[in-house]
Amino acid sequence: MKDKDEFLKKMENLQVPDINPSEHQNTVKMVIMNAERSAALGVWLVVVPCYFLLCVFMYHLFNVRVGWFGAMFKMMAGLEKTPYIDFLGPLILFVLPIVCIIINSLSIIHVQIQKHGQQQYKAKEFSITIKVKPWNIVLILISLAILFTFMAYVMTESISIK
Amino acid sequence: MKLNWFIRKGIIYLPIKIMGWIILAAALAYAVYIFIDIDSHSHSVSDTMINFVFNLLMIGMFYTVIAFFTEAKPRIEAPEN
Repeated sequence: MKDKDEFLKKMENLQVPDINPSEHQNTVKMVIMNAERSAALGVWLVVVPCYFLLCVFMYHLFNVRVGWFGAMFKMMAGLEKTPYIDFLGPLILFVLPIVCIIINSLSIIHVQIQKHGQQQYKAKEFSITIKVKPWNIVLILISLAILFTFMAYVMTESISIK
Repeated sequence: MKLNWFIRKGIIYLPIKIMGWIILAAALAYAVYIFIDIDSHSHSVSDTMINFVFNLLMIGMFYTVIAFFTEAKPRIEAPEN
């Protein structure tokens, strides 16, 4: 009985640690898509425009006048003239890189809106977290480069000196 | 509806169900047909290869897109004690 009283007394005198939940900011930051899956699909989405652009650079920039690269232009020009597959050129050089950017961005970016401060002075915070996944970031950069090249080509082709 | 037709190994999708194998076989058969068709119209080996490589990449891309949406999620194994 005496032991029980001592035990109860000890338990009553225990100091409970003061935990403030707002200080613990570690949260699980979920992303919408799987990074590895997005990277696997992204590789296939950029490989076709990369193949075409490689041919262009080898032909024009490095002056490698091989029939292989020259014939690639003829094929792409031929696609535009063929009735049912004339959409294929813009699809490869514009739509596929955009899809690649979207799926890879969704797999590394986490967006969160939080309320901070005391009850009366709560302010909303919009925080963006980017996970460092090298393959996804590289694919996004390659896709941006393809898009930039295509846009530059379209703009220079459409601008004519009158 | 969850379709578990393919499993991913790196950037390659391998079939694990009969439907996956049918899709892979169809893609390969189409690739062979494309090669024969291009070869019958082309004037040189490089002409054949240029068109075939481009078509092969396109077939690979469409195959991967189908596999991406019908992929089986890998099982998470419990750690050994």
